[in-house]
Amino acid sequence: MVDRKDKGEGIREEFIAEAQELIEGLSRDLLVLDHAQQQNAVDPETVNNLFRGVHTLKGLAGMFGFSKLGQLAHRIEDLLEDLRLGRVVLNQSVLDILFEGVDTFQRLLAEAKNPEEIAEVDIEHFERSIKALAVNQKSSSDIIAEYEIDPGVIAVLTEYETHRLRTNLSQGITVYRLHLRLSLDVIDTVLKQLKERGRKVAEIITYLPSMSVGPDEMIDIDVLLASNSPESELIKVLDQSESVLSVIQRRTPHVPPPAPTVTIPEKRDAQPVGAAIEKSDEPSGDGFAIADRAGDPLSLRSVMNTVRVDIRKLDHLMNAVGELGIVRGALGRALEKMRDVPGLNTLTGELRRIHRSFERCLIDVQDDVFDVRMVPLGHFFNKLGRIVRQVARENVKEVRMVVSGSETEVDKLIAEELADPLMHIVRNAIDHGIESPSERESRGKPIAGTLAINAYQKGNHVVVEVQDDGRGIDPKRIKQAAIDKEILSKEQLDEMSTSELLDVIFLPGLSTAESVSDISGRGIGMDVVKTNLARLGGMIELHSEVGVGTKFTITLPITLAIISALVVEVAGRTFAIPLSTIQEAIKLDPRAIRTMEGREILTLRGTTLPICRLADRFGFSRETKRSRQFVVVVVHGARRLGFVVDKLRGQQDIVIKSLAPSLQGTRGIAGATDLGDQRLVLVLDAPTLLDEFAATSRTNLLQESLS
Amino acid sequence: MTHYSSRFSLVPVGTGSFSPSRTPASASEIKDFLAFALGEEHYALPLSSIREIMKLPYITEVPLAPANVIGIISVRGRVTTLIDMRRLLSMSELQPTSKSRVLLVSKGDEVIGLLVDRVLQVYRLTDNEIETASTMGGEQAAYVTGIGRPALARKGEVIPENGQQNARFREQLAQTVDDSIGVEILILLDPDTLLQM
Repeated sequence: MVDRKDKGEGIREEFIAEAQELIEGLSRDLLVLDHAQQQNAVDPETVNNLFRGVHTLKGLAGMFGFSKLGQLAHRIEDLLEDLRLGRVVLNQSVLDILFEGVDTFQRLLAEAKNPEEIAEVDIEHFERSIKALAVNQKSSSDIIAEYEIDPGVIAVLTEYETHRLRTNLSQGITVYRLHLRLSLDVIDTVLKQLKERGRKVAEIITYLPSMSVGPDEMIDIDVLLASNSPESELIKVLDQSESVLSVIQRRTPHVPPPAPTVTIPEKRDAQPVGAAIEKSDEPSGDGFAIADRAGDPLSLRSVMNTVRVDIRKLDHLMNAVGELGIVRGALGRALEKMRDVPGLNTLTGELRRIHRSFERCLIDVQDDVFDVRMVPLGHFFNKLGRIVRQVARENVKEVRMVVSGSETEVDKLIAEELADPLMHIVRNAIDHGIESPSERESRGKPIAGTLAINAYQKGNHVVVEVQDDGRGIDPKRIKQAAIDKEILSKEQLDEMSTSELLDVIFLPGLSTAESVSDISGRGIGMDVVKTNLARLGGMIELHSEVGVGTKFTITLPITLAIISALVVEVAGRTFAIPLSTIQEAIKLDPRAIRTMEGREILTLRGTTLPICRLADRFGFSRETKRSRQFVVVVVHGARRLGFVVDKLRGQQDIVIKSLAPSLQGTRGIAGATDLGDQRLVLVLDAPTLLDEFAATSRTNLLQESLS
Repeated sequence: MTHYSSRFSLVPVGTGSFSPSRTPASASEIKDFLAFALGEEHYALPLSSIREIMKLPYITEVPLAPANVIGIISVRGRVTTLIDMRRLLSMSELQPTSKSRVLLVSKGDEVIGLLVDRVLQVYRLTDNEIETASTMGGEQAAYVTGIGRPALARKGEVIPENGQQNARFREQLAQTVDDSIGVEILILLDPDTLLQM
């Protein structure tokens, strides 16, 4: 039963009084909701009020140790959350559950007042009915898709905002977008006024401020609002200079469109800003200036359930958690030693149990910290949307950007590191990939090119695909460029398969663009993209078909900080090799080593495996005649390499710490880690070592073929 | 969590942990220097530039690192580059001994460790005890700001009493410093120029 014997009488009374008040409030709101549901005029604010009330009740119950009440409140809160976000549609059966819930709160409170009066509550029953609701309510096709709203905008909406948008649209309420251009110093006041004034006539669904500030300290903001009032009245009420109000149109042509765009006549000439307004008369999916929301200080969204945290604070937290992992390791080793000490059995057993529960807690904390660092890629795709539009306009090309998987989450740091490579690829795709409208027309392609960006999670990795339906990359042109720029010899190129030829664009110094444009082809090549991704433990693949299109596939680990690694010894030094790069580790049979063009190779299951003696690579004097050595086979993309090491010490979770700036240029080292004994161990950057090895052998080959 | 063991006694110096009270001594200004030895030569860095003095921790060698870098060390979990002062000043190398110390100094945002043979003591030098590089004959390396000539009477003087923190500092410094050596001249170094190398 509930633990409250030790609670003072005064405290309990305080709880009861407060809970009673809350429950009464819930009861009132529920009646309002019931009435509204029958009239089919539900105010979302009522659901929000209920949600807040139950949430407070939950917190209160937790604080005073009334666990049953707390559990029930938790279930009801979940249901209200679903309701708030439109995952569950409000109907009589939902209301029944809510009424029963409030009734039960009341009974539990009576029990709290008078412990003799034991209330029979079946919480699982609630859980089951709530689950049943979710199953019964499969949502029909999405109405939002029928309206001309850019998918990029939808991607940045919170679940609640999406729900409000959907509800308004499905109730036939007109949704407008109001485009504003505001000076930075008045923005807060203006938006506040707007909010107050607007409330009477419209529901403001969201504000989408753009991140970039113009040269004149002006910032573009789009406001999505739903209203039944006629436009003229809206304009009057909102009273905004330099703003453009437009109706979000249904895509299907047979719906009579209201006046497409109304410019609010004001003191100065309204300047329509952004592509949306310029071509709002044509039915394209590209209908809304996408604003960036990531880290935007001006966003006025409700912050009820979210906190903004400086990423550095999370880094500190992550570091602290990493250190805890190290403590765990040290503790484990100390326990191992204790096992052999006679007479400590009982104590060791107890410590071992404590250690295990510590381990479990730590894993939970680690998971949570990782979770907190995750951001949806959607924020970033929106930024990309702006670039797409800009580059397309500069190139006088028409590009339709289609995004899917915006909700895919990655570590904030990974998202940042993904930015440059992805922008480079997207620019390339528009610049070189997608043809001009006339060229496309003559080839029988749709005039607007499609740039599809798709993100999804695959195990511990996130995959981002960028696909265009442009002219594709011609292997013949790559070949010619590689010969012209003396990157590879004709003989080498002749032996290459088509996909190998395509991979040549990742070699330094190659750019196949016939004309170097302003945007891409200015030195930063695909080799940099590849190197940057490899540094993060990621990789990039390329598929292209002439005339059909090109697809880049980027694969990155979801998080960077804690990785599993194989700890090895080379010439008395310890190194860690990230497990994600390792295919296998085998015993080295010195008799099986052959040499090919001065390099040592092994035959592993019928294929050739070049090997690299790490001691030589790092300039360590090799230990005298080791009887047993091992080969750690690392893979990066299609390449494999065997590192020869002296000893395998086993697998361990490590926290990679980067080297200080003074050593950042050290090639082949990804960072350092502390294995729990305050001794740093270097973490090998296997992809770089592999590429370097391949590059030197290619140079060798090239030199040999030239001589 | 801190996880440094007693093996690495960390001696907080300089910024934050201690600020030497400046007893107004006539007209000439007094500067504090931490003196250390490399072989038979005695050098000194401004005390304010030194964040900590550490006993020698485990050094992890970094293959293919710049020549002056002896390796990396962990300073309370932070990966710190360690520079061998002997290599930096083109002296012959020497295996570290139990007297070897690491001086932690700032270089921009980074903290760098300097490995020295041993730490001597703190000297408070007045202007007339410093011979600036510009008045010295002959060519000087850019990182030498001058020569300090501590008057013999000043030998052994450490830092004036300055509250509790200072007492602790003196105690810890007492474990680290070696004032058994009579120093006649100190080569005064400029940390910024030194670390540009």
